[in-house]
Amino acid sequence: MVNLLFFGRLGDFAADVPASIEASTPAQIRELLAADFPALGAELHQPQVLVSVNQMIVSWDQKLAEGSEVAFLPPVTGG
Amino acid sequence: MNSLRIQTEDFDLAAEYQSLRQLSSAVGAVVTFTGLVRDFEGQGSIDSLSLQHYPGMTEKLLQEIVDQANSRWNLLGTSVIHRVGKLLPCDQIVFVGVASQHRADAFEAAQFMMDYLKTRATFWKKVDQHGQQHWVESKDSDQAASQRWATDD
Repeated sequence: MVNLLFFGRLGDFAADVPASIEASTPAQIRELLAADFPALGAELHQPQVLVSVNQMIVSWDQKLAEGSEVAFLPPVTGG
Repeated sequence: MNSLRIQTEDFDLAAEYQSLRQLSSAVGAVVTFTGLVRDFEGQGSIDSLSLQHYPGMTEKLLQEIVDQANSRWNLLGTSVIHRVGKLLPCDQIVFVGVASQHRADAFEAAQFMMDYLKTRATFWKKVDQHGQQHWVESKDSDQAASQRWATDD
């Protein structure tokens, strides 16, 4: 299992998403979520959305280790 | 000295300036930037702003920005403060201060740090406009401002 975090507007689409999921890559998480939560799936497919694993930005096909923290990050708007 | 703080409370610009100024007698220039909450966003005025961030990752990303600034310019000290939580129009939201021997290093590094902070650090703004909340969209102009530093990465 890996733990999921959703930031910014993605959080609004992920209110009913389980806190953890069984998956081998972020891309697979995205597909699994899109099946049950189509609106969230569409958001996660936006090209500007980044994914991090254990607080490092990674590619969508990064292999996931058990217990990893996977976060989905829309474009940042700080400052 | 490289100071990084993410906090809900306000900060004192004069105190931040003094800490940079007093770092050493070699300091010949201090540049400070303070960002404030505007009273409008998009089409209308705002009642308040909420800032979310990704604890742990934000600090790491800000540290990378500070490290890059130190490797690209000759700096004697940097200070970054970003507030999170609920803020009101005119509140201070972000501070970047840079001390160096000569002004060009401080000016450029401060601008670089703000440009990178705005496009890389994991903060998200949500505005409350007359009871309606929505997330702020990122701006192409911020991306462009950040990209001008990319050639020397």
